[in-house]
Amino acid sequence: MSLLGRLLRREDPHSLAAPYALDALEPAERVRFERHLARCERCAAEVRALTEDAVRLAWSAAAAPPAALRERVLAAVRATPQEQPAREHTPQLPPHVWGGQPPPRRNRAPRPRPLLVPFATTTAAAALVVASLFAVQADHTQDRLNAERDRSREIAHVLAAPDARSATGHDDRGRSIGVIASVSEGRAVVTLRGYGALPNGRVHQLWLMRPGAQPRSLGLFGRDTPLVAAGLDRSATSLAVTVEPDGGSPRPTSQPVVQLALESVGFGE
Amino acid sequence: MEADELLMLVAGGDHRAFERLYVLVSGPVFGLVRRVVRDTAQAEEVSQEVLLELWRSAPRFDPGRGSALSWVLTLAHRRAVDRVRSARAAGEREQREALRSGGTPFDQVSEEVEAGLEREWVRRCLGRLTALQRQSVTLAYYDGYTYREVAERLSLPLGTVKTRMRDGLTRLRECLGGAA
Repeated sequence: MSLLGRLLRREDPHSLAAPYALDALEPAERVRFERHLARCERCAAEVRALTEDAVRLAWSAAAAPPAALRERVLAAVRATPQEQPAREHTPQLPPHVWGGQPPPRRNRAPRPRPLLVPFATTTAAAALVVASLFAVQADHTQDRLNAERDRSREIAHVLAAPDARSATGHDDRGRSIGVIASVSEGRAVVTLRGYGALPNGRVHQLWLMRPGAQPRSLGLFGRDTPLVAAGLDRSATSLAVTVEPDGGSPRPTSQPVVQLALESVGFGE
Repeated sequence: MEADELLMLVAGGDHRAFERLYVLVSGPVFGLVRRVVRDTAQAEEVSQEVLLELWRSAPRFDPGRGSALSWVLTLAHRRAVDRVRSARAAGEREQREALRSGGTPFDQVSEEVEAGLEREWVRRCLGRLTALQRQSVTLAYYDGYTYREVAERLSLPLGTVKTRMRDGLTRLRECLGGAA
């Protein structure tokens, strides 16, 4: 008799379909039943049907949520990268031609889903900005927070600009780049999330991409600290991040790990 | 646009689609969670977790396994049940006493939520179940009890409770089929 059989020998596993659909199994039982479910088409079909029935009970309890919930959820969503789909492990970015050409507008890989999905707000939404910065800073030690104090004035300056707008892009591994930029200030606050620590001697470098011009370095990221990029003019089309040797490079020496179009934050004219 | 289509867009990182999906699902999520945890502040907290989880794990959504709505409501229900069970585990002694002193009426909180056509149908259909079917289903779904706890509360053998749950849900489906 299989292990599962021994575990379930006292009962027909099919009889657990209804308690499972109602979330009325204990955790260990739930895990056992899900294992069984993966191999039992009849059970899976029955659970699907019973779950749809249970969901009718859910609908009947619907109630208007407090308005504040919406803002909290949307702010949290903007600061949170998505998971990657379980099924695919494709390279995170298509090949990219460095140099005089702007990055391609469209993803060249034969996948329907764009790798980077920019999103912009038309006004500087204070809640979102604070939430995304808080999410970044929450990871930091006190020392790091102290070290950031000087820069925080600079960041606040960008955030306070009347034309400050934000955009985020993520790759299909759930990692993301966030930018809050102001055309009038010519500055942007850029954050990376999910890229982790690089091996010793390597650093993430931020580049400004413009049509007909070489990539220009905007600075180096210190772990996951926001970077303030200055001197952006309206022709800036996108940002790109590469992994470079310590101290950075005058020109990118590797493929970008992530890019973000700046059109949605008012640049790229 | 339907929830399923919106969820596919959300899976691609579309924030605007998420805002539209929020409009469709936040009421059912919040109402269901509140019904189970029976506390508005906790319901907000759990709902926020669920809706953020909806965003985070949207790329893993598999339309072949059910509708977007049942996916998010299943997630919401599971989180709400986890919450109410850990709260119960914390106050286990009180809970044991409550068990001895008898059951809670199944529709204790229903008067505090707004009336609606769907609710009316569900209520009517629940009314057509036998008392044991109804109690088995609602003690599990609305009150977050495991089927073992339901069996204990109703002084029924485990096998009977499992059967009542299945028959209850099946009869509910037949009855609600006429309301869709």
